Amino acid sequence: MTSGDDRPDPRPLELDPEHLDGHTIDELTDYLEAGRVPADPSIDGSPACRLALDALERLHGLTPDLIAADTAAEPEADDGWVRRVLGGIALDAHAGRRIPVPTSVPHADLGITEGAVRGLVRAAENAVPGLVVGRCRFDGDVTRPGAPVTVLVDVSVPYGRPIPPLVEQLRGEIAGRLALHTELNVTAVDITVRDVRPYGS
Amino acid sequence: MGADDLHASLDQADLDQADLDQADDHIVAGRAADGDVAAFAVLVRRYTPMMRAYTRRILNSSTDVDDIVQEAFVTAWQRLPELADPGKVKSWLMRVASRKAVDRIRASRPQVSVDHIEHPAPEHASPPRVTETRARVDALSDALQRLADPERECWVLRELGGYSYHEIAEEMDVSVSTVRGLLARARKHIIVRMEEWR
Repeated sequence: MTSGDDRPDPRPLELDPEHLDGHTIDELTDYLEAGRVPADPSIDGSPACRLALDALERLHGLTPDLIAADTAAEPEADDGWVRRVLGGIALDAHAGRRIPVPTSVPHADLGITEGAVRGLVRAAENAVPGLVVGRCRFDGDVTRPGAPVTVLVDVSVPYGRPIPPLVEQLRGEIAGRLALHTELNVTAVDITVRDVRPYGS
Repeated sequence: MGADDLHASLDQADLDQADLDQADDHIVAGRAADGDVAAFAVLVRRYTPMMRAYTRRILNSSTDVDDIVQEAFVTAWQRLPELADPGKVKSWLMRVASRKAVDRIRASRPQVSVDHIEHPAPEHASPPRVTETRARVDALSDALQRLADPERECWVLRELGGYSYHEIAEEMDVSVSTVRGLLARARKHIIVRMEEWR
């Protein structure tokens, strides 16, 4: 493999088919990825193939360490970087459906975006310190006035606090805010605790 | 978007920034998908080092890494609502970055030629060994840097990005058998070079 190699190490692995009893690295990789089943005696019985399989396995096992080392070697994202990225995003990207708002003014057409109502739901977390709202969905035809709507919310709660009162408080906040700001016919607020953070802030 | 709006939205988020920072990917990405800029900022902070590292491995160069990672995040912001499981945002972000990186490669090198592959010379001496694992990671790193570009790209997409052979073929616009060939050669070269290190 290398010229002028005077180290005492054994010869490097030979990985060409003529040295692998007719098998190829491609085949051996497939065999390894299939969990070495069904067993192939012509591979299992070949010392050269077994050495190559071991080397392939070691290499595959090393990739998580490579990712970890590479990531650790990168600097953390500083504020300037975060602002640069955020400066490039379009804020109206997640407006969602348009929810009509009834009005008595003739020919007027009022509406609020689903995204804005999600913002209202998220803001309810401010009344429940330590609780973080994740994804929010409206199950129902929000574009049709009066249609029943179920609000589905994922939340993260801090470790060490009883969950039911936190969730109950949030449910009340969400229902109250939606009743105050929208005409949605909210029939249920379903809250799923998805995450318990190890240490509350 | 005005800079003031951006500052306002970030400042408002400072109230519970620590809580949001500690929340898991499902919560943070789900919230970002709903249009919350502060949550998206948490993702940017959380995954920029990984995105940079991964992009650097694909390109084998530092040039363009920041541009590609920024583009990837901008695209991710737009497409987050399509992500069915927000808990998988990490691997999904890697996919978005892969696509940007491969696009960049294809723009500068329209065709993958398997027959005339050049293997670059190593650019630097091997770093000192710290531990056995560290030494093996360094050996792998060194071997990757010495692979021909298409071999390295395939290997990184497969092993770090978790792509299937079909997905790599599609991404790189080559046949599956070409991908298999490139991957086999990449593995062979890496293993032989890592053996030399031992």
